Amino acid sequence: MMDDGKRDAPPKKKPYQKPTLIEVALRPDEAVLGACKSSGVSGPGGSGNCHPAGASCFSQGS
Amino acid sequence: MLQTVALETRRGNAHECGALRQRVCIGDIRVDLTCDDPSIDVAVCQTTRQFLVDGGRADATVCTSRGDLRQPVAGIEIFDSGGLWKLYRDASDYVFRLKSPTFGEHAYKEARFTSDFTSGTLTLHADYCTPDEPVFPLEYPLDELLLTNLLARGRGVEVHACGVRDHDGRGYLFLGHSGAGKTTVAKLWEQADGLILSDDRIILRHLDGKIWMYGTPWHGEARLAAAIRTDLAGIFMLGRGASNDLLPMTQAEVVAGLFARSFVPFYDPAALAFTLQVLQRVAASAPCAHLRFVPDSSVVEFVRQNPL
Repeated sequence: MMDDGKRDAPPKKKPYQKPTLIEVALRPDEAVLGACKSSGVSGPGGSGNCHPAGASCFSQGS
Repeated sequence: MLQTVALETRRGNAHECGALRQRVCIGDIRVDLTCDDPSIDVAVCQTTRQFLVDGGRADATVCTSRGDLRQPVAGIEIFDSGGLWKLYRDASDYVFRLKSPTFGEHAYKEARFTSDFTSGTLTLHADYCTPDEPVFPLEYPLDELLLTNLLARGRGVEVHACGVRDHDGRGYLFLGHSGAGKTTVAKLWEQADGLILSDDRIILRHLDGKIWMYGTPWHGEARLAAAIRTDLAGIFMLGRGASNDLLPMTQAEVVAGLFARSFVPFYDPAALAFTLQVLQRVAASAPCAHLRFVPDSSVVEFVRQNPL
């Protein structure tokens, strides 16, 4: 093969970026769905188990 | 690549029982509530009523009965929520035991699921049941525990967020921990003709080549929920500010921020891996930024006039 004298330009290197550490706040008490946000309590025995102990137990956090 | 999971209803397996009483559909996931006991009035909570459906094919079935939960649960404890529930593994089954000091020393509820969560039995401790009262078998937190496990097995993810379909059809996702301003944002958009999918919990799924956000019955303090879905035009990580500002985020920051505001089965490595894949896809599907906002109506106009 003849070398036509043309060569591909070497690929440009990406500029070096120093790795950085980003801290992300976690809320494990919210993430595991372990407790109600309100003072209501889940479980049988209340007004129809939909709003136990007279207070709704909707999901934690808003 | 996300894996497509064949969603087959497990008819006729060991956990199947009873007549169909209610069928709920949340995030396009249908759950049948069945019961053999004619004395149990299977109902759903008020906000869940708009998620009741008739048709379709169930993705999961939960059969409710009364029983005796005084004996310790069989199996090995694999997770303690530190609150209402603990999780055990009994052979291939997952067993949730729910306990509260309000009711006494014994568990008030046990839910046993097959390993893919498509079939389960729910036992209410008979001593703690109030006769003639309707029972919502998936009362919090069991509804979200079941759905988050179903989602993490090839379907999607539930996030701590407020979802809005704006008056022009654009869908906005506002993520935040408690106190970040989700309910505030929901109320402001509601006053500005936005439709609120939920002011606290949103389901994200990748279907038909794009990410959809779904309303859920799990509302926050504003009690706003809607059984609809919409696509995503923008993702915002909420925070309070002295003025309305958008701060750019890298893809890695977006995925990390989404994960920190997701509800995932931390006890299941495969489920965690799938969830991260979904979140990566979510982050790539729509522009995202930190939104520092002033809690008044100016934030609505600010977002509308500053598309990401």
